[in-house]
Amino acid sequence: MDFQLTEEQEMIRKMSREFSDEVIAPRAKEMEETGEPPYDIISKMAELGLMGIPFPEEYGGSGGDWVSQLLCTEEISRGDVTLGTLLDVTTGIVCQELYVFGTEEQKRQWMVPLAQGKEIGAFGLTEPNAGSDAGATQTTAVLEGDTWVVNGTKQFISNMGYKNSSLVIITARCPQFKREDGKGVINTFVVPKGTSGFTIGMHWDKMGLSSYPTNELVFQDCRIPRDYLLGRDGRGFAQHLQVLETGRIFIGAIAVGLAQACFDASLAYAKQRYQFGQPIYSFQAVSFKLADMAMNIALARLMYLKAAWIKDEGLPHSLEASYAKLFSSEMAERAASDAVQIHGGYGYMTDYAVSRYYKAAKLLQIIEGTSEIQRYVISHNL
Amino acid sequence: MPGINMIVCSKQVPDPEAPPSLFKVDTVANKMVTGPEVKPVISQYDEFALEAALRIKDKLGGKITALSLGNKIVRDVIKKALAVGADDLILLEDEAFDGGDSWSTAHALVAAIKKIGQYDLILCGRQSSDWDAGQIGLGIAEILGIPAVTLVRKVEVTDRKAKVERVIPDGYEKIEVTLPAVITVTSELGALRYATLKGIMAAAKKQPIVWKPADIGLESSQVGAAGRRIKLTKLFQPVKEAKCEVIEGETAAEAGANLAMRLRQAKLL
Repeated sequence: MDFQLTEEQEMIRKMSREFSDEVIAPRAKEMEETGEPPYDIISKMAELGLMGIPFPEEYGGSGGDWVSQLLCTEEISRGDVTLGTLLDVTTGIVCQELYVFGTEEQKRQWMVPLAQGKEIGAFGLTEPNAGSDAGATQTTAVLEGDTWVVNGTKQFISNMGYKNSSLVIITARCPQFKREDGKGVINTFVVPKGTSGFTIGMHWDKMGLSSYPTNELVFQDCRIPRDYLLGRDGRGFAQHLQVLETGRIFIGAIAVGLAQACFDASLAYAKQRYQFGQPIYSFQAVSFKLADMAMNIALARLMYLKAAWIKDEGLPHSLEASYAKLFSSEMAERAASDAVQIHGGYGYMTDYAVSRYYKAAKLLQIIEGTSEIQRYVISHNL
Repeated sequence: MPGINMIVCSKQVPDPEAPPSLFKVDTVANKMVTGPEVKPVISQYDEFALEAALRIKDKLGGKITALSLGNKIVRDVIKKALAVGADDLILLEDEAFDGGDSWSTAHALVAAIKKIGQYDLILCGRQSSDWDAGQIGLGIAEILGIPAVTLVRKVEVTDRKAKVERVIPDGYEKIEVTLPAVITVTSELGALRYATLKGIMAAAKKQPIVWKPADIGLESSQVGAAGRRIKLTKLFQPVKEAKCEVIEGETAAEAGANLAMRLRQAKLL
């Protein structure tokens, strides 16, 4: 048993922390207000190699491990959650899906620029009528000769609205190829931006994370070559679920970063805010909230790191990923609520970062499988 | 001038950004004591010196050797020098190096620099973030008998010379110095770049070279506390008293006059 990070992991954490404190955090308020993605910061993250830490250098990565990528994600998210979720989708899910299931050619063509951070990838699972029930996909892909013809709509898709978004990986039902139950199999496909018949539709305004683009994607007789099928025929849904497990560890790390930001802001405020002639930290009503916050953050951090470590060991980790996602996101929502409470009236004002944290925290209980879906996963693994 | 050899002195210090309440003074031992919450970092001015060296290397190529003296030097802290682009890292690391003064430290660093042998430019921070003595760079230059320029905000190397800009209160001086030379770098030069993942991965695989006093031809009695020439007689935290006195008056003008009188009485006007 050894809780010590390696030298390399510790250095990556320190660098990410400095970058987050010095470059990201000072810009977070402006990003939320303008809704503009911080392209300069994203390209700096790419230059530093933060977008592909666990992948081999030959595929554009840095040859590190998932623990390092997630430590980095925690620190980045502490500065601003939108950049953590960017990493979750492009690195944790899209890059990984290409890396694990892609052919050599697909990796060279699509994964390398994503892992290098030059391009951004998106992941299209959710549909207007397929949310938690992601297997109910209504998007179809029909093979005509050597071309797949895709029709359907994907909803609330992150990462496709950046200037340098390059592709989306989608799930679609293929009615020509039946499963045992008579339904068409679900496959995954790569659809590059600019493909005829693929439109990046409406941009959603969200409660928080405004600088993080969320769009509807429309496929109307969208034709892609046969070899844009990713992975094994008929295994698309299973493949998606497999990489989503990693997405859940990412949400764990993002939530810990967010909760840490809540804690740091609240501790500093509680020590300098005087009421009744003393700092409000001297009242147990406040200091006990902070004690709970500190303890829960420490626990959540252990959970996502353990899940990441198991993943690095190449062992099954769906239970640990769900534990980390569920506990951390619920913990972060509580921490954000307490952070606003500790700040009182000021906390509700947008001048104070905690109001932004509160809006961001709610999302973490929904994306990459709601809290309810995590409980479902956990209960079915017991 | 290709192949310029640079040595950057970098010291591990307790993070000066840590809350002041975590720094205590042991008045018996005349030592500063910090809790485990205060993490070590590379002294910030030394980071600027490292950045100066990296900019020269970006332009001209060459070799950067980072040199650090201390005891219990934390590897993931000091290896930042390698991660950002230094080629070698040499640690003068031993219990005997503990508790030195500017003299014994400069003396030991010079012994190491002589052992390294090849150097065109030695870069130091203008002072350390912990003791702020600002003597190491000058001490090294003095012992080696080479020129030194302090408070440098910009440096360019051409043809066995360095053109530097030295910060003065109202602006800066342009100075040309022949090499080899020591320069001490100030914050105006700009912050140290971030280490890239590639740099970190390479640094983690590289081991620093560790030299004990004997490796640089010194006795334990010549380094650290034993080699001190300065005795610290008293280290204490001054007690700061803040008193608030409200100056009153019937009218604003009268209150203003009373305030002026009170300030004059306190010899502040």
